[in-house]
Amino acid sequence: MAHDPFTLTIIQEQLQAAADESFVRLGRASKSPIIYEVLDYACALLTPQAELIAEAQGVPGFTGVLPVAVESILEKFGADGMHEGDIFATNDPYSGGGTHLSDVCLVGPVIVDGELVAFAANKGHWTEMGGMAPGSWTTDATEIYQEGLQLPAVRVYDAGEPVQDIIDLLAANVRLPDMTLSDLYAGVAAIRVAEARICALCERHGVDALRASIDTLLQQGELVARSALAALPKGSWEAQDFMDDDGFSDEKIPVRVRITVTDEEFIADFTGSSPQRPGPVNGTWARLQSSARVMFKSITAPEYPNNGGCFRPVKVICPPGTIFTAQRPAPVSTYWEAGATAIDLLWQALWPIASERLSAGHFLSICGTNLSGTFDDGELFVLTEPQAGGWGAAPARDGQNGLVAQGNGETRNIPVEVCESRYPLLVEQYALDITAHGAGRWRGGRGMVRDYRLTGPAGHITTTYGRHRIPPWGADGGNPGSPNSAAVIRADSTKPEVKRGKLARYPLCRGDLVRIITGSGGGRGNPLERPLEALQEDLRSGLVTPQQAIEDYGLRLDPDTFELLEIMPERREFAKYLNLES
Amino acid sequence: MRIATDIGGTFTDLVWQDEQSGAVGNTKVPTTPHDFGAAVVSAIRQSGQEAQGTGFLVHGTTLVINALTERKGVRTGLITTRGFRDVLEIGRANRPDIYNMTYVKPTPFVPRRLRLEVTERLNFRGEILQPLLREDVARAAETLLAESVEAIAVCFLHSYINPQHELECGRILEEHAPDLPVTLSHQVTREWREFERSNSAVLNSYVMPIVARYLNSLELDLNDMGIPSSSLHVMQSNGGSASFAAGRQLPVNLVESGPVAGVIGAARIGEMIGEPNVISLDVGGTTAKCSLVLDGAPRITSDYKIEHDRRSAGYPILVPTVDIVEIGAGGGSIAHVDESGALRVGPQSAGADPGPACQGVGDQPTLTDANLVAGRINPDYFLGGRIPLSVARARQALQPIAAHFGLDIAETALGIIRIADANMINALKLVSVRRGHDPRDFVLLPFGGGGALHGAALMRELQTRKVIIPEQPGVFSAWGMLMSDLRRDDIRTRITRVGETATAELDETFADMSVGVHEELRAEGVAAADMRSERHADMRYLGQEHTVKVPLPEGSIDATAVDELLERFHQVHEQAYTFRLDTPVELVNYHVTAFGLVPAPAIGRVCSDGLTLAGAGKGQRDVYFDDPEPLQADILERDLLPVDETLTGPAVIEEPTATILVFPGQRAWRDRFGFIHIQGEE
Repeated sequence: MAHDPFTLTIIQEQLQAAADESFVRLGRASKSPIIYEVLDYACALLTPQAELIAEAQGVPGFTGVLPVAVESILEKFGADGMHEGDIFATNDPYSGGGTHLSDVCLVGPVIVDGELVAFAANKGHWTEMGGMAPGSWTTDATEIYQEGLQLPAVRVYDAGEPVQDIIDLLAANVRLPDMTLSDLYAGVAAIRVAEARICALCERHGVDALRASIDTLLQQGELVARSALAALPKGSWEAQDFMDDDGFSDEKIPVRVRITVTDEEFIADFTGSSPQRPGPVNGTWARLQSSARVMFKSITAPEYPNNGGCFRPVKVICPPGTIFTAQRPAPVSTYWEAGATAIDLLWQALWPIASERLSAGHFLSICGTNLSGTFDDGELFVLTEPQAGGWGAAPARDGQNGLVAQGNGETRNIPVEVCESRYPLLVEQYALDITAHGAGRWRGGRGMVRDYRLTGPAGHITTTYGRHRIPPWGADGGNPGSPNSAAVIRADSTKPEVKRGKLARYPLCRGDLVRIITGSGGGRGNPLERPLEALQEDLRSGLVTPQQAIEDYGLRLDPDTFELLEIMPERREFAKYLNLES
Repeated sequence: MRIATDIGGTFTDLVWQDEQSGAVGNTKVPTTPHDFGAAVVSAIRQSGQEAQGTGFLVHGTTLVINALTERKGVRTGLITTRGFRDVLEIGRANRPDIYNMTYVKPTPFVPRRLRLEVTERLNFRGEILQPLLREDVARAAETLLAESVEAIAVCFLHSYINPQHELECGRILEEHAPDLPVTLSHQVTREWREFERSNSAVLNSYVMPIVARYLNSLELDLNDMGIPSSSLHVMQSNGGSASFAAGRQLPVNLVESGPVAGVIGAARIGEMIGEPNVISLDVGGTTAKCSLVLDGAPRITSDYKIEHDRRSAGYPILVPTVDIVEIGAGGGSIAHVDESGALRVGPQSAGADPGPACQGVGDQPTLTDANLVAGRINPDYFLGGRIPLSVARARQALQPIAAHFGLDIAETALGIIRIADANMINALKLVSVRRGHDPRDFVLLPFGGGGALHGAALMRELQTRKVIIPEQPGVFSAWGMLMSDLRRDDIRTRITRVGETATAELDETFADMSVGVHEELRAEGVAAADMRSERHADMRYLGQEHTVKVPLPEGSIDATAVDELLERFHQVHEQAYTFRLDTPVELVNYHVTAFGLVPAPAIGRVCSDGLTLAGAGKGQRDVYFDDPEPLQADILERDLLPVDETLTGPAVIEEPTATILVFPGQRAWRDRFGFIHIQGEE
């Protein structure tokens, strides 16, 4: 039966709306800040063959990862082994779960008149999954068994009824069972709403129309991706870089990528990157694939909604057992470090062909921070938050000040007033960090400094900040940005006792100060070309110091009136050189 | 006499009502962008009514939203707690456009050099950790004066719980910079979240001088016409009105001044016809706006932002605002084929200039063109025939799309209409289904230029019980203003664990706040007998972030009332989020609303003696409904319809500013107030 094109479009819109509604439902039902504040979750609808129909996500890191979860469920149970009302769960990082144990995927088959028509699925960062550290991530795990409870594709709802044994097992293995179970229920509510919407669509338009609509949707997605691919230059581009360390040794971790664009494919080959490491900075295959998809999308059709068709030209190559494709039992709880590194590598490799869609290097790490401890009455608290930092200079524009990292999206910082009401902490400053880095014709954006003073009796700080040793990269002659760090300054001191990227449950006492500093982004273009007026405005705004104006920009300005006092020799030389060039 | 004036982008509408006779009338004059007040004055003159002694005039204006979006406010300075001047710039640091690697954050309204810090600090209980350093404030005032700012905003941490330092700072600024308007953040809102509160205070200061100039001048003009200052009101975003004086003080409350009035009107109509649950839909030239009225009350939120969409974080304004969802679907929305080959309608719009192709200037195919091609709009009766429409131009504009799909023009027109309807359905679902409300419990109330054309199709799809088309749907917003009461909201963040122990705290806090808002109304000249108040609590389960708004039981709050409140909370939560929990419950915000009831004049009954359905008939014409084959539809003139006589579709009911479509099998009738009701087949 033929269906008119408008009906198909309307069904497609409603499928997207169902994924969106599912997303809203999950976020609003959750009790976990990491879900409702950080939006570290995604909801999707998939075909019976596990192809993505529509998805809604708050962070790009989950782009296109749910198909892997659905595949693993299909493989284990088969379409025939599923019943109306079933829900399956997996968090196995090396297969269906795809990231770390905290990210639990729930998958519900949508069955209409006995026939499997779609899957509704979601994946969220549940706050607690057990393991050696509260919050289920730390920087000193050496095997996955320390990182929490594993759910290797299990049925959690059987024909609409909860499987109590599994739920009891889950509750017994986590520190905050109430919270973990409400994450489960929020995910179930999200699946139920998607299910209801798909059933209503089938009732209204028929299963045939639904299928036809999904087919054209995927074809259209592929069409958009292929036409974007056709517009890219063909050839190969490479990048190599290092990750700071794995938390156990100071050894830098080499990584590399080779991107090849052909008429048919966009191939990202990570062969030659470091083997997996003892520390939990390892990434997984599904996340690596997602990284390639994200970058492909960002430089081609960022506004087009995601579906399986959009990613058909993207191919990822990487042998198993690398830092990006860790194998059991490698620890992976801070997998986002490898994920972010893969993105940044692709970003650098793509610079020659897509710099108009990219900014220079940014602070990159989501700067996961976990500050825990007790109130005076002994009650526990855990503050988990991502940090904002500096972004690299964009085409013809200075970088952004204080923006969450690429791995985050609609992710919000915690207001000081909320933070102080909820935790025994005093935030003593939240300000832009004015460093002498990131100079350029276009400046890198400024990172942040956020000071926490502990007002409770005792606590611990855990941080995992990449780009602590190797700063964000500058481009086209711009300077690199500054590194990320977390420092502890004791109550009776003004000097840091420790200043690092990674801290594992570092002990704190009442009155101690934790200073979090995030990096400035990289500059773009030679700083000696930055116009005088722009620099005067920088000084007026306190974004550049008079000293940096001299050293990086070759201009001596009056610190009070901002008038030009002297053009330094290197700037004069550079101007001459530019004149000769033209 | 009661008068409401609503300034829109193209027209300034005026609706008047004679309180004695109940007679209602309206005037439309072109908006005068260089002097908005001129259009108000000329509309009053043109109405032919005696303005002298008007008892109540309410004014809705786009001045504030325009000044904000066009960046036409004044140079503003900000004073903050030491260590926090960058909060305004950092914002929430979010990146909504997640695949955009060159995302640009919204630029703060106060640049860094005009953001100054002073020494002072409170803790989260409002206790003073560091006293305010007077010299710092004096120095800041000097700096800002030297920078020639025209307004100042102040936001200190935790001022929502204790405003003492902000007040002190205000007094010192008064000494050192007596001519500069100052906004203290706690005066705008007593809710927590320093970025949102700072931004609200900044935006307020940014438009204060402009709004003051405008309202002062309008006040003088209206005084000259014999309308006393005590009668003058502005429409606020919360759906109530306030005096001009209050508008000058807190102009940021006027951001949604125009759009909310339609929702208030919808609630009023619901009340008149015994339908307390209404979904309102305002279809204009560029956008469609929808909102939900539950049990007679519009939904109010303070999670409001301007310039916010999927691509941009926008600017939060933490003031109570009627919750409206707006999408890019209106009569001027342009139909186009996207990169994947699918048909889309909007969000780009041909607007008023060049306008739809059929109006003779533009050549892009719009929703209006599709409605014309489908025979739904009468080309010779647009705005009562004042603007002739060209069917030929509309068909020509649709041709490329028809060619793309290999369809004929009528099929294409129907496709465009269906896609636009689907867009509106999605928006209507956002305010209803997605919040846990079943549309079958609601009536749909469409208005604006295009609402009546689409209402019946939307009802069928959404399955609302009925469609109600108000009189004069084109000026309905102004009519809604006419029906508004004075309104004051006070919302305060004060985290309270709700249980046996908190009874006294709840009772005292609500009582205090209640006294405060009633005092404000008294200052606006409202008599005690005309005051009514509502109390709500924003509540959540311990550990959650999002709250739900729960109405409080009447009377003082004792243990029984707390039990009742908790039960209501569980119910509201379950409706919104599908589950209830057995965990402690927190009250986050106390919310008290006081209304100064303005005696709403009775709406005149329609006298339809001697009118018949046959007499209302203007013949028949070919109209495309669902099928690509046209149907012969009866064409009727709205004002000639007899009351309570049912007609059956296919039919088109016409009036000068709107066209009402009745689908085959649907039944429609005019009620005693003149509203048109449409219902599905029995």
